[in-house]
Amino acid sequence: MTTRTPVSFRPHDLVVDDDGTGFLRGSRCPSCGAHYFPTREVCAGCLTEDLETIPLPTDGTLYTYTVVHRSTPAFEVPYVLGYVDLPGPVRVLGQIDADPEEVAIGMDVHLEIVPWGTNDEGTPLLGYRFAPGGDA
Amino acid sequence: MTDVYVIGIGMTQFGKHPDRTAAGLGAEAVRGAIHDAEIDPRAIRTAYAGHVFQPMVTGQQVLGQVGLAGIPLANVENACSSGATAIRGSFLDILAGEADVSLAFGTEHLTGAFKGAFTPGEDDPEAAVGATMPAVYAMRARRYMEEFGLTREQLARISVKNKRNAALNPLAHFKKDITIDDVLMAKPIAEPFGLLDCSPVSDGAAAVLLASGDWVKRHGDPSRAVRLSASALRTGKVETAPGSMTFEELTRDTANDAYERAGVGPEDIDFAEVHDCFTIAEVLRIEGLGLWEQGTYPAAVERGEADIGGRLPVNPSGGLLGKGHPLAATGVAQVVELVKQLRGDAGSRQIEGAKVGIAHCRGGKTVGVEGAACTVQILTK
Repeated sequence: MTTRTPVSFRPHDLVVDDDGTGFLRGSRCPSCGAHYFPTREVCAGCLTEDLETIPLPTDGTLYTYTVVHRSTPAFEVPYVLGYVDLPGPVRVLGQIDADPEEVAIGMDVHLEIVPWGTNDEGTPLLGYRFAPGGDA
Repeated sequence: MTDVYVIGIGMTQFGKHPDRTAAGLGAEAVRGAIHDAEIDPRAIRTAYAGHVFQPMVTGQQVLGQVGLAGIPLANVENACSSGATAIRGSFLDILAGEADVSLAFGTEHLTGAFKGAFTPGEDDPEAAVGATMPAVYAMRARRYMEEFGLTREQLARISVKNKRNAALNPLAHFKKDITIDDVLMAKPIAEPFGLLDCSPVSDGAAAVLLASGDWVKRHGDPSRAVRLSASALRTGKVETAPGSMTFEELTRDTANDAYERAGVGPEDIDFAEVHDCFTIAEVLRIEGLGLWEQGTYPAAVERGEADIGGRLPVNPSGGLLGKGHPLAATGVAQVVELVKQLRGDAGSRQIEGAKVGIAHCRGGKTVGVEGAACTVQILTK
């Protein structure tokens, strides 16, 4: 039996290293300094086409959140979902790996790499969530 | 420049129509508008058909059913703003002199297209991590609570108000008054929302006939024609830095386009039909339109200022929460309501002395964009 190596669920957006750590990728405009997630080809601020792809910081603060009770069959409910502001600045949506009672707007969170099911070929996937607290 | 008037309106019952099709519903609404305008359908020169989850060329199917053939028709998709965008097509045709009478309609057989929580497009990176449309608006509600002290009960009152208005509208999906407790006890969807904070999945269609001022003078009934003073459309800007989720710049900018075109300001508006797909959405729209200052609308609803009979009634038709939300039909149905109110034909939900009404739609979501398509229309008597 072969063991398949897990891969990123969205390889362009989420880079996962061999040691299981990872980061999100965004774009930075060298002309006006705007940041974007996900990556873009053209800066919406100054229309520059030479955007740089950069790793995004893994620590941020929670801008807002909800507890989702009805979703598509792809997701087991309930889950906490929130917008996280990362330095850049850029805002990223992700699930929050915490009990609803301990979630609050403005709390510090950090990116974590988590199992994210399998693809159609059965290869295990890795996705991301945000967990309370700064990076360990 | 010519003036543009609404000369005919038509609308089907909104609700669940398991045995109907989008084309059949659309044809019923179009026939209604033709009968209401009392015109020979051959006077119609161009047509625009809004629909979102329906088969391609649904618009031509509708024209075929009503016996209109040959005229230019474009099918329009702009998510929940599709119907309002269709009206803008007719509006511009008349301004350009391409048509003196033009037909715009929206039709949606939504119950046949999907079930459950509405999600952004499948390729949306936010949908990939669990975003649903209720969740996105629920997060805006949570942030608004944090910034402005909005309470759960204040949110619930918006649903209670709109369903009370819907109970006065024979074509509305919801027929019954509800209480604040009904809203608070409803099945949770995305906190703080329960089921009654969300607009229902509805089928339905609505149609309007627009005509030039010259045409109305020669062939129409000026006493029943209502002027469409502005039909503005904007696309959301890609954000170059994270923006506020509690104020809608897109709604403000689209409204300013419409106010400028119509030569009126927020202080002139007597009543509004806005895109209340969720309870918080009514707050965000109304404040974006400049009808109340940011952070003040929920308390105004509590004081009854947005009720029929209040200072500035909001969603007298029942809105999306009460009348129902067959996506592309919604923007056209809002204009149908504005025309009924301005003609004085709104029956038990009539707003006394209404002279200027505004309609607002906002549809679609793409990552990094504050709303995809926004429309604002102003009608004056």
